[in-house]
Amino acid sequence: MSSLRTRLLVALLGAVLAAGVIASAATYYGARAEVGAMLDEELRQVALSLRDHAVLDLGRLAPGGREPAQRVVVQIWDPRGVAVYLSNAATPLPLSRAPGFSDLTHEGRQWRMFTARSGPQTIQVAQATSVRTELAAGAALRLLVPILAVLPLLAVLVWFILDRGLAPLARVARAVGARSPASLDPLPAAGLPGEVRPLVEALNGLLARLGEALTVQRRFAADAAHELRTPLTALALQIQLAERAGTDADRAAALTKLKDGVKRASRLVQQLLALARLEPEASETPFAPVALDALARSVAAELAPIAAARPVTLALGRVEPATTTGNEDALRLLLTNLVDNAIRYAPAGGRVEVRAFAHGADAVLEVADDGPGIPADERVRVFDRFYRVPGTEGPGSGLGLAIARQVADLHHGRIELADGLGGRGLTARVVIPAT
Amino acid sequence: MRLLLVEDDPMIGESIRDGLAQEGFTVDWVRDGAAADAALGTEPYAVVLLDLGLPRKDGLDVLRAARARRNDVPILVITARDAVADRIRGLDAGADDYLVKPFDLDELAARVRALVRRAEGRAEPVVRHGAITLNPATREVHLRGKPVPLSGREFALLHALLARPGVVLSRAQLEERLYGWDEEVGSNAVEVHIHNLRRKLGAGTIRNVRGVGYTIPAE
Repeated sequence: MSSLRTRLLVALLGAVLAAGVIASAATYYGARAEVGAMLDEELRQVALSLRDHAVLDLGRLAPGGREPAQRVVVQIWDPRGVAVYLSNAATPLPLSRAPGFSDLTHEGRQWRMFTARSGPQTIQVAQATSVRTELAAGAALRLLVPILAVLPLLAVLVWFILDRGLAPLARVARAVGARSPASLDPLPAAGLPGEVRPLVEALNGLLARLGEALTVQRRFAADAAHELRTPLTALALQIQLAERAGTDADRAAALTKLKDGVKRASRLVQQLLALARLEPEASETPFAPVALDALARSVAAELAPIAAARPVTLALGRVEPATTTGNEDALRLLLTNLVDNAIRYAPAGGRVEVRAFAHGADAVLEVADDGPGIPADERVRVFDRFYRVPGTEGPGSGLGLAIARQVADLHHGRIELADGLGGRGLTARVVIPAT
Repeated sequence: MRLLLVEDDPMIGESIRDGLAQEGFTVDWVRDGAAADAALGTEPYAVVLLDLGLPRKDGLDVLRAARARRNDVPILVITARDAVADRIRGLDAGADDYLVKPFDLDELAARVRALVRRAEGRAEPVVRHGAITLNPATREVHLRGKPVPLSGREFALLHALLARPGVVLSRAQLEERLYGWDEEVGSNAVEVHIHNLRRKLGAGTIRNVRGVGYTIPAE
C-alpha cells in the first residue's frame, strides 16, 4: 500500500462504493415509506369501495397479474363473527374488531390490514408486508447494481487518470534519478502542477546550496594542493642537496634545512586541517562558556618563550573578565595565530600587547604590535586563504588570518584590523557576542 | 656561467641556488618581479629561472616585459602552475622552457645547459675548438684527448670565451659573466685565471687584445 496510486485507487473506489451503499440504503428506506403509504391507500380504497358499492369483483383486486403472495386478501364478516366472504379461505386471517389500519402476524407472515365497518358487517382488506419490502429493496437494488457494474470501469479510469496526474512526479523522479553527482543544475520546474512545484523548487534550492558548498570545497582542495606543492618542492630539493653533500658538515647543514622544510610542510598541513575542521558544517564541538581573559593569559604564557627568542616584549594589556559562549580550542587557535603573527612580524626589540575585555554586549580580544603593520588597502585581502602581503619575508602559509576569521565567523563575531601601538604596527580585534 | 633566479619562496630559492652552485653556476637570486625586471635590465645572464607567482609583479609580466625590451636571454619558467593552458601561456609569452614544481635538481641543471647550448648555436652537447673539448655537463676539459684539471672559475672563463670564438670580451664583461652580486672580485682575478688557463692549455690559446680584452681566435 506504499504506492500513492494504489492508495488513491482503493480510497476512491471505496468512497464510490460507500456512497452507492448509503444512497441505496436511503432509497430503500425512502421507497419503503412511500410504498407503504401508497399500498395503505390502496387497501383503504379497496375496503371503502367494497363497503360503498359492495363491489365483489375480486378480480380487480389483483391488478397487474400480481404474484399470489402479493395479492390483496379480502374478508367480510357478519356481526356474529361468521365469515361471509374469505378471498383466501385456506388460511383466513383472524378477525380484528378495531377499524383502521393494523399490523398483525399470522402463521409467520407479516400482514398489513385495513378494517372498515359496513353496517353490521366488518370488511377487512390485508396484504403481506413483504410486498412493501420487496418493492423498496427492488428500488434500492436498481440504484446499487449499476454502480457495482461500473465499478471495474471506474477503477480502470481512475487508474489512468491517476497515471496522468502523477506523471509530473514520475518525470521529476526520472530527472533526479538520471543525475550524476556532478550535475547540480536546477531541475526544470516549468509546467509542473502546484503540488509538485514546491518540492522541485525546494530540491533546486538544496542543489544550489550544495553546488556552492562543493565549489568552495573544490577551490579549497585545489588551493591546498597548489600550496602544498611549494613546501614539497622545497623538501625535494633539500633532499637532493643532502644526498649530494660531500662532507659531513655539508650534510649536517643540508639536514637542518631539510628539517625546517618538514616542519614547514607539517605546519601547513596542520593549518589546512584546522581550517577544514572549522568549517561551520563540520564543527561538532558543542559551545561552552569561555573566559577570554583567562585564555589571553594562557596564550601569552604559552608564546612567551617564542617572543623572548625573537626578542620581542609580549605583554598583557587591558585584561578584564569577559566571557563568551564558544569552542575554546578554536578560540585558542585564533588567539595563538594572532599573537604568533604579531611576534613573527614585530622587529627585534618590538612590543606585542594582548588584551581581553567586555565592551557592551560583546567580548573583545585584541592583539596589538608595533611591527610593520599592513597597508589599509591590503587589510581586506589578508583574510583570503593563502594570501600574503607582497614583499612578506619569512615562512608563512598565508592561512593564519583566514583561520582567525573562520573562528570569528563560527562564533558569529567579526575580526577587524586597525593601526597598532603608538600609531604604527597593527591591531587585530576580534569581537564576539558576550554571554 | 651566471644565472638569474627569480623565486619568492626562501626555502626553494636557497635550495636551487645552492644546488646550481654545486653544478658550477653562479646564481643571482631575486625574490620579486620588480627586482627581476631591474636585474634583467642591467646584467648579462646566460639563463633566467623564473617563478610565475611572484609578489609585486607577476612572472608572466616580467617575461613579457623582457621580451618587449628585445632581451633574448633564455628564460626557463619554474612554476607550480601545471595546467596545459598555463604552460602554453608561458611558452607563448616568450619562455624557452617550462618546468613544473616539484622538479629534480639534476633535470633543472640539464635543462639550463640545454638552453645555454641552444643560445650558443650548438647542437652538440660538447664544445669543440681545435684540440680543446669542453663538456658543460661533466665540466671536463680535454686537450688532445687528455683531461685538463681546471678550477670552477677557470672552467667558466674558458666556457665563456669558447661560446663565441673570435669575439673579444673585456675584463668587466668576463667578471659580469663569472661573479654574482655578493661575490668579492679581486682586482686582477681575471688575469690570474687567464694566466692559469694559458699555462694549462698552451700560451696561444687565449689572445690578449691590448686595451680591449681577451678572445679565443676563431678557427
